[in-house]
Amino acid sequence: MNNKVTRNLYLFPYALWIVLFVVAPLLLVLYYSFFDIEGHFSLVNYKTFFTPVYLKMTLSSFWYAFLITVISLIIAYPTAYLLTKTIHKQLWLLLIIVPSWINLLLKAYAFLGIFGTKGIANSFLEAVGIGAKQILFTDFSFVFVSVYIFIPFMILPIFNALNELNPTLLDAANDLGASKWITFRRVIFPLTIDGVKAGCQVVFIPALSLFMLTRLIAGNRVITLGTAIEQQFLVTQDWGMGSTIAVFLILIMFLIISLTGNRKRGV
Amino acid sequence: MTNAIIQFKQVTKQYDNDPAVLDQVSFEIERGKFYTLLGPSGCGKTTILRLIAGFTEATKGDIFFNGKKINDVPANKRQVNTVFQDYALFPHLNVFENVAFGLRIKKMKNADIQQKVKEALSFVNLEGYETREIREMSGGQRQRVAIARAIVNEPEVILLDEPLSALDLKLRTEMQYELRELQRRLGITFIFVTHDQEEALAMSDEIFVLNKGIIQQSGTPIDIYDEPINRFVADFIGESNIVEGKMIKDYLVEFVGGQFECVDRGLNPNESVDIVIRPEDLEITTLERGKLQVRVDSQLFRGVHYEISCYDKDGNEWLVHSTKKAAVGDEIGLYFDPEAIHVMRFGETEADFDRRLEAYSAGDAHEQ
Amino acid sequence: MVYKLDQRITPLSRIFLVLIFFILYAPIFFLVFYSFNSGGTMYNFKSFTLDWYRELFQDSRLLIIVLNTLVIALVSSLFATIIGTLGALGIHSIRKRQTKNTLLSLNNVLIVSPDVIIGASFLILFTMAGIKLGMYSVLLSHIAFSIPIVVLMVLPKLSEMSPTLIDAARDLGASQWNVLTKVVLPFITPGIFAGFFMALTYSLDDFAVTFFVTGNGFTTLSVEIYSLARRGISLNVNALSALLFLFTLVLVVVYYFISQRNRPGRWGVKK
Repeated sequence: MNNKVTRNLYLFPYALWIVLFVVAPLLLVLYYSFFDIEGHFSLVNYKTFFTPVYLKMTLSSFWYAFLITVISLIIAYPTAYLLTKTIHKQLWLLLIIVPSWINLLLKAYAFLGIFGTKGIANSFLEAVGIGAKQILFTDFSFVFVSVYIFIPFMILPIFNALNELNPTLLDAANDLGASKWITFRRVIFPLTIDGVKAGCQVVFIPALSLFMLTRLIAGNRVITLGTAIEQQFLVTQDWGMGSTIAVFLILIMFLIISLTGNRKRGV
Repeated sequence: MTNAIIQFKQVTKQYDNDPAVLDQVSFEIERGKFYTLLGPSGCGKTTILRLIAGFTEATKGDIFFNGKKINDVPANKRQVNTVFQDYALFPHLNVFENVAFGLRIKKMKNADIQQKVKEALSFVNLEGYETREIREMSGGQRQRVAIARAIVNEPEVILLDEPLSALDLKLRTEMQYELRELQRRLGITFIFVTHDQEEALAMSDEIFVLNKGIIQQSGTPIDIYDEPINRFVADFIGESNIVEGKMIKDYLVEFVGGQFECVDRGLNPNESVDIVIRPEDLEITTLERGKLQVRVDSQLFRGVHYEISCYDKDGNEWLVHSTKKAAVGDEIGLYFDPEAIHVMRFGETEADFDRRLEAYSAGDAHEQ
Repeated sequence: MVYKLDQRITPLSRIFLVLIFFILYAPIFFLVFYSFNSGGTMYNFKSFTLDWYRELFQDSRLLIIVLNTLVIALVSSLFATIIGTLGALGIHSIRKRQTKNTLLSLNNVLIVSPDVIIGASFLILFTMAGIKLGMYSVLLSHIAFSIPIVVLMVLPKLSEMSPTLIDAARDLGASQWNVLTKVVLPFITPGIFAGFFMALTYSLDDFAVTFFVTGNGFTTLSVEIYSLARRGISLNVNALSALLFLFTLVLVVVYYFISQRNRPGRWGVKK
């Protein structure tokens, strides 16, 4: 009995936090999505969301997020794999992670300089003979900078999954006659799929919603769901429409989590 | 009665609607003896220990300590201490502080704590290890720290939950001697839980054999080994040859197609029984002299003896421990004394069993 | 050991890794490099100067912002660590699987939620509750989004702890309070420290949530950098980033030692 009392004592502030800062905000967003800009209850926001303008924006946001995730994965998997083979692998991993601890805005700011009209990237292009190009404020720069920012988040879970892989499994596959490629396809990749899923989750969702990058790097050439929400809340002051977009973003988020949900495998 | 330190009266432990872990168990533990609770995993032996320590509550029945009911006394107020299977040493404290933990809780004076911890550590031969961290200690040393941590509180009863199971064979045998010796020197009650019958036989004054939440048999190691009450006990305590048989009349029993002289009486004529003959009670002899005729199937050298597996014509396996070698494939005879046959009635309670055995020895005395 | 010998990397792979590391670090060193440029742009390095740093340290407004950011980070992490640790203890003591999983899912909502959602929903919450946007709304938000990470750092430590450890303490006479203070808390201390540290970095690094819930007159460093960067290139920002980079390195070293004690070979990653 005594146990229960103390447990509830522990849980009280925590439960309060869940109610006030997890459940209530989500419900409030849902609630607000049913009000138009004048504060009348209506479904107009949902109607607006299903107009071509917003659907196109959602699709393009998805497309960019997808692109960013796939490119990050293509770069991150081999990197993580090679990292596990280095001798001081934890140290190298740490060095991969350190850049992720630098303020994201500073990294974006750095690319303002690098990709600028007279920036180092253009000097390089001129030197090779291609000639200066408009790099900043294009979708290329947006994808590039996003991938740059997300790569450590993709590497970490994949590294952990690879690192937990029992090396005797590879020996066993070898012993049973599997080639390197087959070992990768039939043993290594299936066993690290949870890491890949986790990595995709932590990249895809923010890629849909980071608004500062689009503002700073893409110069409004790319509008993501996140940019749209920020726009509605802080510029247009149409909280209802912003909430409606947020509702869809939350739905997408839950969908992705359930798709990439990590069911632990028994290894 | 006066010497009983712990008593269980009709204690039942049950979780939700699962079958009872302990089913109306009653027993007494006497002061100053070494007890072993022996049984396969899930038999309820650890539950008994946890009930005594106060980590769990009985569903039904009463538990007495020194004559006082302790069902509702919390674990931290009970005068028993436990040595855990995984030792449960506090990883953030060094050896000294681990042993001193209980004394510090009691707010004992620092000088006294120093003194007592030192004593306890020397009791388990760990002088000079006070400032070591737990992770620097080997398995055997951790074991000793755990014991020192228990005895330093001067409990009346020490509970040991399979404390030797994590050690290798050699160390385990050493610790068996040490624990037994420690119990004698301290003179307090040890209750030891194990699933290892050899450990139980080697160390205990008294063994409780448990299965499926019921105490099957209790007694000294010799009693239990020589006179197992049923097939389970016979099988669990040492290797046995167990066959079904029929009690023809007093002193005559029938099994595997023959009738044999035995020492049991007082059973109903033609009552079905289980027959146990220990492998070391079987003697290899010629076909003619043998009471049983069997064919040698396989043979293993066990160091001190050969373990020979034979089959009779009905297909029953007979294990023989013999210092003599046999040849695989040979037809041989097996000889045994009437005393080697143990007759077990089906569903006999421990009380009835004891009464029957006592009647035999009374009878023997009478005949002499 | 034999396996170790197999772990040789081919030269091609080595080049690949070096390239990755180069790309990851080049922009940061690029920033730091130009913070010493007297030319005032992020191209054309004219000559070495410390003017930008001097200017930075004379900017009292910026210094106040730095101070705000640090105070918010420390105070919010402290509260988040206390509430989160209590929460972890509570969750750990729950036997029912269903309840436990529900709580854990709710716990993780703020971890996986995009910052925009957290920011927007908190903005609505504070407005509805009548809390003035400013320092307190920022502080409350930072506490709120740091709590789940503390829980996630403390919980594994708790499940790592053998239940017999608590039995042993009670067996030796410890009361419930004793068990908590003498056994459980010391055991999970590394997890609590790691949680505090993660909360600290979450708070220091947050931009989006603060951007939504702060009002006029209260700014944190991230928000300030954003508005500076939107105005274009100013080498003040470079100087600032050089200093922050140094600061991050110090934090990394601190965290490295904490996590080495905690559980060697595990790194947390920030959102």
